[in-house]
Amino acid sequence: MTTATLSRWNRFRESFLWYSFKRDKVAIVSSIVLLLMVFAAVFAPLFAPTDPYDLAQIDIMNSELPPVGMSGADAAFPLGTDAQGRDMLSTILYGTRVSLLIGFGAVVLQAALGILFGLLAGYLGGRVDSILMRIADVQLSFSTLMVAIIVGAVFKASFGNLMFGEIAIYMLIFIIGVAEWPQIARTVRASVLAEKKKEYVDAAKVMGFRTNRIMFRHILPNTLSPIFVIATVQIANAIISEAALSFLGLGMPETQPSLGSLIKSGFDYIQSGSWWITLIPGLVLVVLVLVINLLGDWLRDVMNPRLYKG
Amino acid sequence: MKSDTPLLEVKNLDVRFAVRGGDLTALRGISFSLDKGERLGLVGESGAGKSVAAFSILNLIARPGYIAGGQILFEGEDLAAMSERELRKIRGNRIAMIFQDPMMTLNPVLSIGTQMVEAIKAHRRIGTKAAREIAVGKLRKVQIPSPEKRLDQYPHELSGGMRQRVIIAIALLLDPEIIVADEPTTALDVTIQAEIMALLLDLCEQENVALMLITHDLGVVSQVTQRMLVMYSGRIIEQGPTREIINDAQHPYTQGLINALPQMGEPGARLFQIPGSMPSLKNVPSGCPFHPRCDFATDQCRQTMPEYVRSGNVDVACYEVSNLIEQEKRMQEAGS
Amino acid sequence: MTSPLVDIRGLEKRFDLSGSFLEQITFKGGRFQRKQEAVHAINGVDLQVQKGEALCVVGESGCGKSTVARTVMGLLSPSAGEVHYGGQRIDNLKGGDVLPYRRKMQMIFQNPYASLNPRMTIQQTLEEPIHFHRPELARSEVREKVQEVMQSVGIDPEWGSRFGHEFSGGQRQRIAIARALAVDPEFIVADEPISALDVSIQAQVLNLLMEAQETRNLTYLFITHDLAVVEHFGTRVAVMYLGRVCELAETKTLFAEPRHPYTQALLSAIPRLEDDRPNYIRLQGEVPTPVNLPSGCVFHGRCPYANERCRQEIPRLIVTDGGSQVACHAVEEGRL
Repeated sequence: MTTATLSRWNRFRESFLWYSFKRDKVAIVSSIVLLLMVFAAVFAPLFAPTDPYDLAQIDIMNSELPPVGMSGADAAFPLGTDAQGRDMLSTILYGTRVSLLIGFGAVVLQAALGILFGLLAGYLGGRVDSILMRIADVQLSFSTLMVAIIVGAVFKASFGNLMFGEIAIYMLIFIIGVAEWPQIARTVRASVLAEKKKEYVDAAKVMGFRTNRIMFRHILPNTLSPIFVIATVQIANAIISEAALSFLGLGMPETQPSLGSLIKSGFDYIQSGSWWITLIPGLVLVVLVLVINLLGDWLRDVMNPRLYKG
Repeated sequence: MKSDTPLLEVKNLDVRFAVRGGDLTALRGISFSLDKGERLGLVGESGAGKSVAAFSILNLIARPGYIAGGQILFEGEDLAAMSERELRKIRGNRIAMIFQDPMMTLNPVLSIGTQMVEAIKAHRRIGTKAAREIAVGKLRKVQIPSPEKRLDQYPHELSGGMRQRVIIAIALLLDPEIIVADEPTTALDVTIQAEIMALLLDLCEQENVALMLITHDLGVVSQVTQRMLVMYSGRIIEQGPTREIINDAQHPYTQGLINALPQMGEPGARLFQIPGSMPSLKNVPSGCPFHPRCDFATDQCRQTMPEYVRSGNVDVACYEVSNLIEQEKRMQEAGS
Repeated sequence: MTSPLVDIRGLEKRFDLSGSFLEQITFKGGRFQRKQEAVHAINGVDLQVQKGEALCVVGESGCGKSTVARTVMGLLSPSAGEVHYGGQRIDNLKGGDVLPYRRKMQMIFQNPYASLNPRMTIQQTLEEPIHFHRPELARSEVREKVQEVMQSVGIDPEWGSRFGHEFSGGQRQRIAIARALAVDPEFIVADEPISALDVSIQAQVLNLLMEAQETRNLTYLFITHDLAVVEHFGTRVAVMYLGRVCELAETKTLFAEPRHPYTQALLSAIPRLEDDRPNYIRLQGEVPTPVNLPSGCVFHGRCPYANERCRQEIPRLIVTDGGSQVACHAVEEGRL
């Protein structure tokens, strides 16, 4: 009974979350790597030697230069250049930015849909529940890629290549977000079903609070931990989906490279010995997805209610 | 018949839990003994350490808990120093345990018979048929109707009271010398609780089995046990014959516990209440752990843990009681 | 006699077990059958709660006492029957019409570990209902009100910024009581408010409830399985068995002279401190499931006095010469 009020920061410092983070080397390393990558990607214009979107800075004569350390390398391009003469380091930084943006954006959309439908289904139950969950089942039985291929193809055909390039990023967020919301909706529904049996919900009903208030103010905050865990993993999934779509030519165009389209653009040159155009962005993608997944695993362990009683 | 060495003797037992930020002491200097066929009650509120005490007798403390000191002598052998293999020969065989929740003992996907036969075979070289016969005999003993039929049933097909009877039958399977029962009737209704308690008492008397009954219910303790221990914050603060403690408790905590019962109060009047609540293991007060809630607390109580003193047949750890006893002695000396 | 504050008339509640229409269809003996099953939780309960009294409803698990509480509070809607509050029928009110009654009627729950929202501070938990029901109050007035209720339940107002999990069970129950009191109710339904608490804490909370009753002029509907508490706390007692009231009497009358055979058995099963052995009236068999209710008196299968009439005719509550109301043919006929 020392001080009555603890600041939020102190509360966090004393929390189990922080304690287990400090003791988990994998989590620490993963989050440092992730933070560095996010930081570098967000501030890409500051770090990148050149701007890959600026055609004036590109010289076709510099195409397919190998990374530093190999014969024929140019010190101005530490990671070499691609087939169009763009600096690989700059393109990767900008590409990571696009990939992360799509990943976060898609998950925000997924979470918004998933939380809303999951809350409604879990709390109202009955017919609302049956209908929403059947929609979710149908949605899940289409693979994300299939939906994306169809929607992407339709978009491409109706808007034309140029226009498509401009809206590609929103389209990808939309497709991946819509295709994957049932994952989050199911998680939310399951925890709502557990929470709504608890007496604090009865207490809120007895107070006369309206359904919306009970759902969003009382139940939702208590279902956030599992949402947090699954959202982390879903970011990694969304980034992979984006890469896969771009690789198939249905994602980001080469003029606005994401990690996926970078890999694709280099793929044609592997045979001619320019492996770095594919391999380096590929490695970045693997590392990015890996650290997000490792963090997700750690979060799941920490937030497991059987281990941690809040 | 009373032999010199008790069946079970716990000496100065310390149990700690290793958690972040250092060790928590769950039990401190626990000493008591249990004779053959004796019924001992272990009373305390949640957090007093009574379940930890029960588990530690079978050396069943799970990590991060560990026995930090002291001895648990079962017929002269120290259970605290035994290997896991040797312990397994004693657990369930010579010392049986009954838990509060029957589902902790019963496996929901196996029939009652399978589980009982398995339990017998784990300790004895015996055929399945013979084992089933023993099982039927024990089920009959706990007054389960048509025991042969029950063997093929699954735990969920039985009512709560029946399940707890099955648990008692399983505890009796190998004719143990001690039954440790941890809140065996807390989850049951009063009428069923009365039946189960009466059954347990009869069985212990018939078979001359020692019973260690862990409970928070003083009424049950007074009905079933001969001696009792009162625990508070990991220590035994009072122990002695049950009747003597119930009728004339010495420790202020025990007095408070008894007087706080609604059946002790005048209907409609305020109940006697002990202020505050049991300290958590994280911040056990210095000296006597009860002093912040005690009306008689002095500086001495705040600084050092009182030693046990004897009052009648009861051992109490309280300065107030020891001071009173000394005063009385002085008065007597002065008088003579 | 003045008109009752709460009037429960012919209340029935069934919980459907058979699921949707498709799940009800079974194929048996060469034809499809529609099979509907329901748990008959309450089967015709009439109770009047008088202003200022504490009406206790006791019974064992599954007797429907909690269902009565939840139906009165509108957490469940009755299958049949009516609930009146201050002369106004409230069980069929919709939307905003219920709100005034939400302020007048409040509830305290059993499990203090689940009844506080883990993501809200105590201040938020207590402020929200006041804001909601009295939007005309200014911030500072709400804060004052919260301070006042916190003080009245013995929780330091300084602790408002803490979360529920930082408190002990007893303190949480105090906070839950404070939440109920925050909207100045007239009538409180307490559903086993102390059964999850330790003995010494039970006394504190019971005292607090009695104090609140006196200072705030409250009326209680108190649900419990603990008869000792009833004896202490209740003005009148209703004993329930399998969804019916079998005896209703002034507390003193009931404990001095229980008439219904079930009440007698229930009373005899309380473990009393003065007992040296469990002595209780042993009932035959077990409580039947509320899915298939026995015909006639629901207690006849376990009753030592049951005869043919009991097996067929449902007994009604009749007033005895002692002043208690008993639903028993044997009592009515003078056989008991």
